[in-house]
Amino acid sequence: MSGRARVALVLVVVALALGPLFLTPVPPSEWVPELWGSSFGEPRGWALTLRELTPLLIGGVAVWLALRAGLFNIGAEGQMLVGACATGAVALAPAFPGQLVIAIAAGVLAGALWALPAGALRTFRGGHEVISCIMLNQLAFLLTGWLVKGPMKDPNAGGATTKMLDESLRWAPIAKFGRAELDWALPLGLALMVGLWYWRKHRVGGYELEAVGTNATAARFAGIPAEMVQFRAFAMSGGLAGLAGALLVVADQNRFYDGMTSGKGFDSLGVALLAGANPLALAPSALLFAALNAATTGMNQIGIPKGLSGLMLGGLILLFASASQRKDNAHE
Amino acid sequence: MSEFATFFTNTLSLAVPLVLAGFGGLLSERSGVMNIALEGKLLVGACAAAVVGALTGNPYLGMVAALVASTVLSLAHAELTQRYRMDHIVAGMALNLIAIGATNYVSKLEQFSQTLSGVVRVPQAVLASIIVVLIAVVMAVILRGRGGLHLWAVGEDPVKARLVGLNPVAIRYLALLGTGLFCGLGGTWIMANASGFTDGMTAGRGFIALAALVLVGWRPLPLLAACLVFGAVQSLQLVFQGVPIMGTVWPSEVWAAMPYAVTLLALAGFAGSTKPPAGLGVQ
Amino acid sequence: MSHIDLRHITKRFGSFTAIENVDFRAEKGRIHALVGENGAGKTTLMRVLFGALQPDEGEVHIGSEAVRLQSSSDAIARGIGMVNQHDSVIPALPAWRNLILGAEDGPWLNQAAVIERAEALAKPLGFEFDWTAPAATMSPGATQKLEILKLLWRNAETMILDEPTAMLSPADAEGLYGTLRQLAEGGKTIIVVTHRLPEVLEGCDEVTVLRGGKLIESRPVAGLTAPQLAEAIVGRSVEAPELTPPNLGEENLVVENLTLGHSLRDVSFSLRAGELVGLAGVDGNGQRELLRSIMGVLRPDRGTIRLQGLNVTKASTRARLGAGLRLIAEDRYQEAMIASWPLVENAALGQHLRPPFARNGRRDLAATRVAAQAMAERFRTKFVSLDQPIGGLSGGNQQRFIAGRALADGGGVVLAFQPARGLDLAGIDDVYGALRAHTRAGGCALVVSFDLDELLAHCDRIITISHGELRVPAPEQARDREAIGRMMLGEEA
Repeated sequence: MSGRARVALVLVVVALALGPLFLTPVPPSEWVPELWGSSFGEPRGWALTLRELTPLLIGGVAVWLALRAGLFNIGAEGQMLVGACATGAVALAPAFPGQLVIAIAAGVLAGALWALPAGALRTFRGGHEVISCIMLNQLAFLLTGWLVKGPMKDPNAGGATTKMLDESLRWAPIAKFGRAELDWALPLGLALMVGLWYWRKHRVGGYELEAVGTNATAARFAGIPAEMVQFRAFAMSGGLAGLAGALLVVADQNRFYDGMTSGKGFDSLGVALLAGANPLALAPSALLFAALNAATTGMNQIGIPKGLSGLMLGGLILLFASASQRKDNAHE
Repeated sequence: MSEFATFFTNTLSLAVPLVLAGFGGLLSERSGVMNIALEGKLLVGACAAAVVGALTGNPYLGMVAALVASTVLSLAHAELTQRYRMDHIVAGMALNLIAIGATNYVSKLEQFSQTLSGVVRVPQAVLASIIVVLIAVVMAVILRGRGGLHLWAVGEDPVKARLVGLNPVAIRYLALLGTGLFCGLGGTWIMANASGFTDGMTAGRGFIALAALVLVGWRPLPLLAACLVFGAVQSLQLVFQGVPIMGTVWPSEVWAAMPYAVTLLALAGFAGSTKPPAGLGVQ
Repeated sequence: MSHIDLRHITKRFGSFTAIENVDFRAEKGRIHALVGENGAGKTTLMRVLFGALQPDEGEVHIGSEAVRLQSSSDAIARGIGMVNQHDSVIPALPAWRNLILGAEDGPWLNQAAVIERAEALAKPLGFEFDWTAPAATMSPGATQKLEILKLLWRNAETMILDEPTAMLSPADAEGLYGTLRQLAEGGKTIIVVTHRLPEVLEGCDEVTVLRGGKLIESRPVAGLTAPQLAEAIVGRSVEAPELTPPNLGEENLVVENLTLGHSLRDVSFSLRAGELVGLAGVDGNGQRELLRSIMGVLRPDRGTIRLQGLNVTKASTRARLGAGLRLIAEDRYQEAMIASWPLVENAALGQHLRPPFARNGRRDLAATRVAAQAMAERFRTKFVSLDQPIGGLSGGNQQRFIAGRALADGGGVVLAFQPARGLDLAGIDDVYGALRAHTRAGGCALVVSFDLDELLAHCDRIITISHGELRVPAPEQARDREAIGRMMLGEEA
């Protein structure tokens, strides 16, 4: 790709992300402070950004794991949703000992199970994981939608939502800064990320994963069972996406409702793509996506449509993808 | 009898956007460009048809706008995958995000959201004749034309196609141009059957079309059949709303899930043949 | 006046001269063979004639007219057609569509008319096709026939066939030459690039021999004998250096009746501790499949493989690596290394589970660095830092590093596929020197090379492979260059 083509792409993306702002009657003197205030500038912004951050971070970890094995887990959205739903179902069952842990475990398991068909089709049938993930996503939307409009629905609620969880099953925040709440899910996500970094750098499993994802043929010649490595990575990726959904229920929303992941699984793909080879980069990457989501949510309240986030995030993904493509070409 | 007539017309009406998106996907994937952005292209078309139609009061201008909008998105797809050599999946996903964002943004803008209530529709008969002619022509080119042969060759093996003197990149641009036109028409049709633009109003039709495409192994005639069957399934869903089958009232989600479930089974090797073009996704 | 007349053609790739001052003539109505070993320049010369390469020096004359062929389309317009070694038939398309692909006469395809004309072309040659069946269902022989028809469809007067029988059964190959004879009698100019001597002697009229990019001779086939031709192709023997006899030990690698499709046919041999064995043969005769089967990357149809006394026929590649098998792989970029990774990470590849690289699943990064440094220094790899991507090194330096890795821990069975490829003379001596040292220290090694002289100079003994059949020269011919040369070309010794 030539330098000029690259500049052109940057210009188009910037125009896509910022141009629409000038179509609104809201003057820059209003939206610029709001953009900053609702992401980082003010406590309410921090509160929003932090809430967005955790699922994107864990979702990013999930997608990153599959990506390093050479697989696109575009099914993270569905796995997250199914995970959240399973956690909600267990948490709303009549009380039993260890319910919280089992509820979260159910979310992880559900996410992994939802990834399994795609992983198996890819490994044993050579079917493209992206196609099967798209099908599984649609099925996840339909299944969870039916559950929460039917058997799991709170009879007293108007919309498609469950009851609120019992107080004992909610994760209380560790700390509150004004309106910003910090709960245990974020440290857990950071720990997962650091764990992944350690595993990648110091364990042979991480080495093999990276080898398979970079050059599966060379990996096979080095005695690495490439298909098995990919299959396991995909199942783990699904489990982690399920965990992100589970934590969304117990730590954030304290209930399950229809479509509650609202594209966070798709955003996670962007988070993972931006992070590139280094898992520690997942945190700043997730923070950027979270802040953009928070900012557009805030700006929505002063009359700028929420669709701006799609334009910005989609544009960002295109930029990162073209940049990483350049790096790959440099070896040829 | 009239019940059957309703079912029949419903089926056709529901199948049309699937057929259009399906043939759009066929052109793209047969040329070797993996297309998960059919949904976004339909959505952009529907939104452009609604907005421009409402602003000008002329449904035909709305249709032209839909064709232009979907085609721009589709050519962007060609540009990203062919010139920027971007991964086809990543590009498609980003374009879907952009389409969802852009349509939401435009339709929610204050200056438009007022006028959007005044929906104008292209008469179905006009639209239907355009679509029938177009599908017939494309089907003929694919099955009997030089263009179809070149499309197939490039999607199967771009290297060998180059050896016999074809230009794979140019053919892919043309194919994606066609994808854009089909999806623009599909969006227009969806708008012509709706009371106004709403977020995500394409409701996964782009993905159902993709499912149909995979299910039939990327072949044109079976694709037409599969889209009609999927349309009939959606239509049956309306017929059996609240009516018990085998003692139970099946939730509408069961009907909606059928295309995806069947396609998954097909991918697993339990139904149909899902052999993709050999060069799909290859740069 | 010859129909095709190439004069004083020279073609260089960078500093490498592929062909130098080569003359080549071919007449109408004759079948002309172009022979030589791998790398002799045959394909380069033909790509010049086909317009795919432009010569640095020399002239191309077609039908006594000097021409400049800027591209293959120029050559096609002048009636030249070429069938490449790898076919251009697309399996998913039916035969008739493959036939006309890229040479249609209008925007609409008339299947009946195409098939009618195709039949008219095919019938005189005795070809029969199921025109509407996908090409995937066609045999290699039928595919080859379709390739020839593609040239006729494009009105080719001169037909170049590059190794046309490589994928064909002997019966199909014989049929092919019958077809070519018929075409020649019809006035076409036929040029066949091949390395199979019987074909030349039985099927062709003229023969041109290239060796090392130079013209050796050009003459009628009549009166030529197989030994004469083999000698012209491989050249006079050079005096092999004196080799110290090996101190033979146990049979470390035993292969029995290994069969894999048409690639390997009942291959049996053994390697004893202490010996360095060369596997001679022309490229594509089963060497690749043999080494991959021994590595466990390919699964043979039948046969057994024993490694250090253990039956590993069903074992994983990982287990075989653990049992002391090492590979210097053929394709560096695909098989031997991960190009975007630094040297230090590549050092562990294959042995990454075992000390010094890892213990109990935990990687030892410090020890890996030490080991990587040793591997790099073993054959004087030139590098800036162990942290630089190995893909950034020159091919020769990559190969030095990979050889260093395979020979790092002594003992064991080493398989090497063209280990000297991309190396200069000092590097070649380094690698073979190391392989010898490895075997003298009690290990054993099997080296695949397409260069017989290289093997004769460095190996304790030589076995040959041709058409997937492995043969061991009789003791009195063990170092007989010409006898071995004939064996690897598929002739009787």
